[in-house]
Amino acid sequence: MTTLFALIKRNIKLFFRDKGMFFTALITPMILLVLYATFLAKVYRDSFLAGLPQGLSMAEELINGCVGGQLISSILAVSCITVAFCSNMLMVQDKANGSLRDFSISPVRASTMAIGYYIATLISTLIICFIAAGICLLYTGKVGFYMSGKDVALLFGDILLLTMFGTALSSVINFFLSTQGQISAVGSIVSSCYGFICGAYMPISQFSEGLQKVLSILPGTHGTSLVRNHCLQGCFAEMEAQHFPKEVVDAMRDVVDCNVYFMDEPVALSSMYLYLGATVAVLIGIYVVLNVIKSKKAK
Amino acid sequence: MIKIENLSKSFGEIKAVHDLSFQVREGELFAFLGINGAGKSTTINIICGQLSKDTGSVLIDGIPLEKNPADTKGKLGVVFQKSVLDQALSVYDNLQSRAALYGISGKEFKERLSELASLLDFQDLLKRPVGKLSGGQRRKIDIARALLHHPKILILDEPTTGLDPQTRKLLWNVIEKIRKEEGMTVLLTTHYMEEAADADYVVIIDGGRLIAEGTPLELKNTYAGDFLTLYGAKEEDVKTLEVPYETIRNGYRIQVPHTAAATQLILQHPEIFEDYELTKGKMDDVFLAATGKKLEGGQEE
Repeated sequence: MTTLFALIKRNIKLFFRDKGMFFTALITPMILLVLYATFLAKVYRDSFLAGLPQGLSMAEELINGCVGGQLISSILAVSCITVAFCSNMLMVQDKANGSLRDFSISPVRASTMAIGYYIATLISTLIICFIAAGICLLYTGKVGFYMSGKDVALLFGDILLLTMFGTALSSVINFFLSTQGQISAVGSIVSSCYGFICGAYMPISQFSEGLQKVLSILPGTHGTSLVRNHCLQGCFAEMEAQHFPKEVVDAMRDVVDCNVYFMDEPVALSSMYLYLGATVAVLIGIYVVLNVIKSKKAK
Repeated sequence: MIKIENLSKSFGEIKAVHDLSFQVREGELFAFLGINGAGKSTTINIICGQLSKDTGSVLIDGIPLEKNPADTKGKLGVVFQKSVLDQALSVYDNLQSRAALYGISGKEFKERLSELASLLDFQDLLKRPVGKLSGGQRRKIDIARALLHHPKILILDEPTTGLDPQTRKLLWNVIEKIRKEEGMTVLLTTHYMEEAADADYVVIIDGGRLIAEGTPLELKNTYAGDFLTLYGAKEEDVKTLEVPYETIRNGYRIQVPHTAAATQLILQHPEIFEDYELTKGKMDDVFLAATGKKLEGGQEE
């Protein structure tokens, strides 16, 4: 336990001491927020208003709240994964600069090392994502805030689960990497692609039916939907309180992916939690097994 | 302390280590010589448990390497060619995290750190990031890291490459002190022949095979012969000896196969040998004679 604790401490310290790694990870959600607010807020707003039936008007603050909720849910859903990949670079850097050799000549077990990287990355990523969530909530507070205390608590729970998923996924992928160039390549691919395939940059409801079916299998899609549900739940509740027709509210939920369909059946939030949680467990299992196999091969 | 028998390791078609056998005795300073690619690092990586062997056996302290790797690793301290400490962290943080790998923490760590800091004279460096240290200072910390857990065997993989002579001397003094006080066994790979000359036992490998082994004296006697340096003699007198010689600044250097031959030569021509000295060949000569290759001192791999 002393060894695991020391490894976690060392990994977290290294992450925060490496200004390049830390600031890149921290600045990514901030840049995304600025870019979204500058370039996409109007697009989201227009598509949101286009979805409203004719003759139905909505208060300006509620519209802004919906758009803001959609924006921050997209940013947070993506950040939990991209920041995890960034934080988990340490695992590859240790291979590239030889630190891993120093660990492997000691009696420390491969599984302890693996868990050390996982927990350290999880903590570093959570610190950054929670800071990002705080800034995002301040942003929605300014444009239109409809989230309840429960929604906020659940949002933080979603961030925790998505970060666990991002950390586990990055751990499995990074296991096969060993150079700085590979880290950069994987980082770029994840940053540019993940937002699309998880439905953060564009709701998957806007994709073709076939693509929707494929994307609905991916755990990230369900993670994004969870975040989106808790960011927009207050807005939809307010619409219902303002006697918006149920069909309209449901249609809006569909448009922004609060409802995800698997084999044409809507997936309940509890099932999304279960699916994402199970994926995390499987990925962690794969990661530990990979480390144990590698360690046995060396013997 | 280390017994290697018929060790072989291949990477595809390349035989990095081929049927290698040698023994390192307890408390010994053992030098492992070879040019780059000779198989030194592969052998050391196998001893450290970082590479698997194809065939053969490796016994550390009488126990096969694969039987209890964790226990074996606890007996080894390794100083790598290149520092593998965390450049961004302080010396203290680095040593604290590495000590924890061996279950050393709290008061036990602080006491050991204090011992090593005083022994290696780095008390003033504890708060400085490793990346900001000079080469010599960093080497001291590397050695401290290797000694944290009181290893029985210290493996030094070209530890003094690139260091200034003063720092090299300091490090060797410390290693010698610890070796003598704690009876620690030291396995050294080096490019510096004068370091190998101070070893208790030397093994020379080339192409993954053992080429020569013995004490420096045995190796010098076998491979390098002796040299008689003759001062104040005339060249025509030296020619009468009918042995190969070379002219040096203030005399002549005569190569003889061994000390007995030198003695015989002196006794036969006492009138010529009025002022002379007898020296053994150098380890460079041994290496050249054994492998046919020259080992360039101080070059980094």
